Amino acid sequence: MLGPTRVGRNGVSLIPPTLEHFKLRTGWRAAPEVGRFWGPRFGELTEERQERRFKDTAESSTEIEWTIAYEREPVGFTGIFGIDWVRRDGESGIVIGRHDLYGRGIASEAVRLRTAFAWNELRLHRVHNWIAHANRGSRRANEKSGYKQMGLQRRAFFRSGEWYDEWLGEAFPRTFPEQA
Amino acid sequence: MALGGTIRGKKTTLRLPVEPDLDAYNRWMADLRVRRAHNIWHEPAMPATWKERFREIAKETQAVLWSIEADGKLVGLAVGYVWGMGNGFDLSQLVIDPDDWRKGYGFDVALALHRYLFDYLDLRRSDLELRADNPAALRIADRLGYVEYARGHEAAYRDGAYVDQVRLLMEKETWYERWSSEREYAPLGPAATR
Repeated sequence: MLGPTRVGRNGVSLIPPTLEHFKLRTGWRAAPEVGRFWGPRFGELTEERQERRFKDTAESSTEIEWTIAYEREPVGFTGIFGIDWVRRDGESGIVIGRHDLYGRGIASEAVRLRTAFAWNELRLHRVHNWIAHANRGSRRANEKSGYKQMGLQRRAFFRSGEWYDEWLGEAFPRTFPEQA
Repeated sequence: MALGGTIRGKKTTLRLPVEPDLDAYNRWMADLRVRRAHNIWHEPAMPATWKERFREIAKETQAVLWSIEADGKLVGLAVGYVWGMGNGFDLSQLVIDPDDWRKGYGFDVALALHRYLFDYLDLRRSDLELRADNPAALRIADRLGYVEYARGHEAAYRDGAYVDQVRLLMEKETWYERWSSEREYAPLGPAATR
């Protein structure tokens, strides 16, 4: 599924992805600044792969994806994946591909819009995720929308001479802040 | 990688799956005893759909499927995922035919599979997710050396209610501390390299 438009605060919106947006991901995946906490920085980084991925995403009934727009420009993507409609549970993820925009609260607003949609429109019961424990910005963005730690996988991956732990979070409708 | 080869336990053998196994897979996925204990691999479906699933997993680069035999009879299946960078493994399915429960097959096949993961593939860790109300599986995991590192609350649904899911890890170091005598092959000895 391609997620519907959700207009948020401070110039942040979630919008339905287009093929052009998907093609931007190839460059984001290749960037060292983005890859510190995401992916091996190699793979099938081709336009053909993104065309297939776009089609698969649009046809899927178990995932929903959005492009994150900041001041009308695509700057990243977010979604809920592997949705189990019996458990009403899914795994969320977010990438801000434009690393020059880190620190502006874009992820926090995108997570708030995504999480509100999960409860108010999809009627999910639970959403969970994995975040590098050292990725404080992403972790805080999720915590502000009600994600709480359910575990920590020690020494999950290695970067630049140190082991990074993975923080496992989960959120429920009841943990979504009222003022959000 | 995607269809697993032979791994021998004492009572059970993980072996290459073949199309005639699919009828039993379908039967197990439709069995409420299995569905209560585990996440299922796939929903029950027509034979043609199972054949398609079989062709798909055969082409997978990271998912591995095995059938499990005991005394020459098909008694289960196992599915796991080798991590992207090849240093870990998610054991996502270990299904034993409910009619063959309480015969020690679960532990036997789990021990053999982990011997393969650590003593043959040289992986760093193995990851597992179990329902909190499945004491038999939790006992097997504890005996092997798994340790809980996360608990997903109200993460699985069965019998009209939610149940927690426990995530567990087993490290290569634990394998060698507990099971150092378990080897895929006997030592070759110095003559082999002469």
